[in-house]
Amino acid sequence: MTSAGVTHTSDPGYTRLVLSRVLKHRGARFGLIWTGLLVLFSVFAPLFASSHPLLIVNEGGLSSPMLRYLSAVDVILLLLFIFAAVLILIRYAVGRVYWSVVLVTLLISVVQSFYSISPPKLVVYEQYRQDVQLLESQLVLMAPVPFSPKDYLRDAGDTGFLEPLESSISTHWLGTDENGADVLSRMIHASRIALGIGFVATGIAMFVGVIIGGLMGYFSGVVDVIGMRLVEIFEAVPTLFLLLTFVAFFDRNIYLLMVIIGITSWPGYARYVRAEYLRLREQEFVQAAVICDLPLWSILFRHILPNGIAPVLVAASFGVASAILAESTLSFLGLGLVDDPSWGQMLNQAVQSSSFYWWMAFFPGGAIFLTVFSYNLIGDALRDAIDPNSHKMS
Amino acid sequence: MTTYIVRRLFLMVPTLLGITLIVFTVMAAAPGGISAQSLIEGQNLEPQAKKALEDYYNRLYGLDDPAPVQYLRWLNNVSPAGFIFDDDGNVNSFSFTKGSNLGRSFRVGRPVGDLLAERIPITLLLNVLSIPLIYAIAIGIGVRAAAKSGSRFDVTSNVILLGLWSVPTMLAGILMIGFLANEQHWRWFPTAGLSTREALDMPFMPHWDSLGQAAVFALSLLGFTLLFLVLAKLRATKIRPLLSGSYAGLFVGVCWMIGGSETLFGAVILGIVIFAIFQFVDDSGWRSVLAVLVAVVSCLFVYSFWSSGGFVRGFLLDRLWHLVLPVACLSYGGVAFLARLSRSSVLENLYADYARTARAKGLSETEVLWRHVMRNSLLPLITVSASLLPAMLAGSVIVESIFSIDGMGKLAVEAVQGRDRELVLSITLFSGILTLFGYLIADICYAIADPRVNYD
Repeated sequence: MTSAGVTHTSDPGYTRLVLSRVLKHRGARFGLIWTGLLVLFSVFAPLFASSHPLLIVNEGGLSSPMLRYLSAVDVILLLLFIFAAVLILIRYAVGRVYWSVVLVTLLISVVQSFYSISPPKLVVYEQYRQDVQLLESQLVLMAPVPFSPKDYLRDAGDTGFLEPLESSISTHWLGTDENGADVLSRMIHASRIALGIGFVATGIAMFVGVIIGGLMGYFSGVVDVIGMRLVEIFEAVPTLFLLLTFVAFFDRNIYLLMVIIGITSWPGYARYVRAEYLRLREQEFVQAAVICDLPLWSILFRHILPNGIAPVLVAASFGVASAILAESTLSFLGLGLVDDPSWGQMLNQAVQSSSFYWWMAFFPGGAIFLTVFSYNLIGDALRDAIDPNSHKMS
Repeated sequence: MTTYIVRRLFLMVPTLLGITLIVFTVMAAAPGGISAQSLIEGQNLEPQAKKALEDYYNRLYGLDDPAPVQYLRWLNNVSPAGFIFDDDGNVNSFSFTKGSNLGRSFRVGRPVGDLLAERIPITLLLNVLSIPLIYAIAIGIGVRAAAKSGSRFDVTSNVILLGLWSVPTMLAGILMIGFLANEQHWRWFPTAGLSTREALDMPFMPHWDSLGQAAVFALSLLGFTLLFLVLAKLRATKIRPLLSGSYAGLFVGVCWMIGGSETLFGAVILGIVIFAIFQFVDDSGWRSVLAVLVAVVSCLFVYSFWSSGGFVRGFLLDRLWHLVLPVACLSYGGVAFLARLSRSSVLENLYADYARTARAKGLSETEVLWRHVMRNSLLPLITVSASLLPAMLAGSVIVESIFSIDGMGKLAVEAVQGRDRELVLSITLFSGILTLFGYLIADICYAIADPRVNYD
């Protein structure tokens, strides 16, 4: 039996074992369901909450203003989701070659959509509501939450805080915020920011951490000493202060925020990875790889990494939670994204001067709580699943 | 040990250099960065005045020099030993006793040292109060959950703690301030600050007009405490529900009679808490502690609407009253985290060989738990305490902005919002120092708790 054969047959076995253990956990199942819901909300946000009618039927025929006003990000998210779904469906049907074809098509379409899609700059939300009132005959299909996140409902006249279901003109299930925008709609669109920041920031942190930690652990010696000092320095800077400084001095945009949260949280991953690499570098399979004269990246990332990734994944699961928390903290302190809806920024509006708007605290705060709770539950279950001791005891 | 501490203190220097260098680089690399133009931006000035002001700032802070020079100059000013320059910018001499100068705040115009001297004690007060509280509660819950692992208490506390751990500090703070301090709901606590203006003129301790009133208060406090303690210590489990129910009912009734319907809501909540404590807490020691707490709270509650003037709460009580919500907000997360950790670490040691030996020797279960198992279980808790302090500093940024407490956290937010370079650098430096001292203290405590650890 060759060594390649061994890894090939035993590797999916372990992954499957861990997965089944995680899925046995009631908390983890809850966490996965909530995350799945959030993914759905964030991908189909314009379908769930939009002031643009999904469909208008009149004499002129069919038209869909919602589609016309989709932004590039909306389309890319939709594309990604569809491709992911297709990939999962056809995974058993096609071989490896087709994967690259699919990925390349995906990449091309993403780039293509980024350049070709330009929704109209000027948006007049009130127009539809006027039209609907004027032309009664036409059929208009609205989204379940018929308000866009930045639709301040100027035509309704009651712009400002409204309790849930308080307004007599339009139905706001979760009330409105200080500008009169619908809270539910803003929350649905904000799930995109929360998830995006959570995943991308953690991905960046993991990437940096794995590279630096891997080099430190594999080479040890001087590299390790210097690297650990760097890790210590970054750990001793209070992360929130560093984040505050970054955000205050640079532009506020979501991609920069992802990068910043990512590069302030890598030291933890570097620590874990270093410990794993220190343990694994003496093992026979690594020695064999070295003797075969494989290139460094192949030893580091194709041979050692898959064997040492488990604790990093546990850390990553908690990391997603803390990245989401970091973003909402920044937004809460008024240093987050300026115009886009974010849960933390909505929470910030809950207490103003001497008034307390409970719906602004409960719903966005509850969303942050549930998301963070989900990732903590998943991380907990994952840690139990890869911990050999916990199964001996119970 | 001394050599170890001295070595650690010296090792702090490169780390602190690194920290300030990172923060400085971030600020210098920012588009626009810090320049005299950015400082006077937004002021509507005539060109000449503008130029003069720019020159003034450039001369004052040296903002037209290259960034590395600016950083080195800042470093030289801050370090207690360094070069002394004359007015033309030439090196005059090297001095070991020149003292450190943190510079002047760009925005406020006051020396940074003064600002920090005002703000740091407040943040430290919050943290120093919270940390022992966190450890006491967390170890209490964790040990109990481990000792009765698998029991109802263990399962429920585990779920509740995991949930509590995930509650963002800002949500907790906002809910607290919204419901417990706001005018629309129950005004039990103050909304902002650390003391009311009147309290600054009050004497330190609470006092009464006449001795009689003080005696009434003391007696009622004593009465409440005794009454509750008796019930807490009661062994007969069958009478307890009946008695605790009637206690709670009596309490609500009396409150209603004296205070009227206005106080009814608070009274009912307190009554439910009283009933729940005596009914569901099945450990006599815990019940006593909680009973005393509830006795004090309910005595204060009754007293607050019963007494008519003549009572000055004093500076201390006022400060404590202001601290309840911020400290609660700052500590619940740590409690949740540490309680789970202490549960798992006690559980690990509870069935270790040495614990079995101790039991075989004939020691009681409490003695095994608290004298043998506890000491070994403390080690992970001490390790974690190193990372607790930075987390608390970050938490106090949020808590201080929610409760408008003028501490270092709020100052940090103001400083970065105002792009106040000197202030940001100094705050980073000090929080770095605090964090590193936290690490050092944790390591020393580790050596004290575990005699096997020897750093020399």
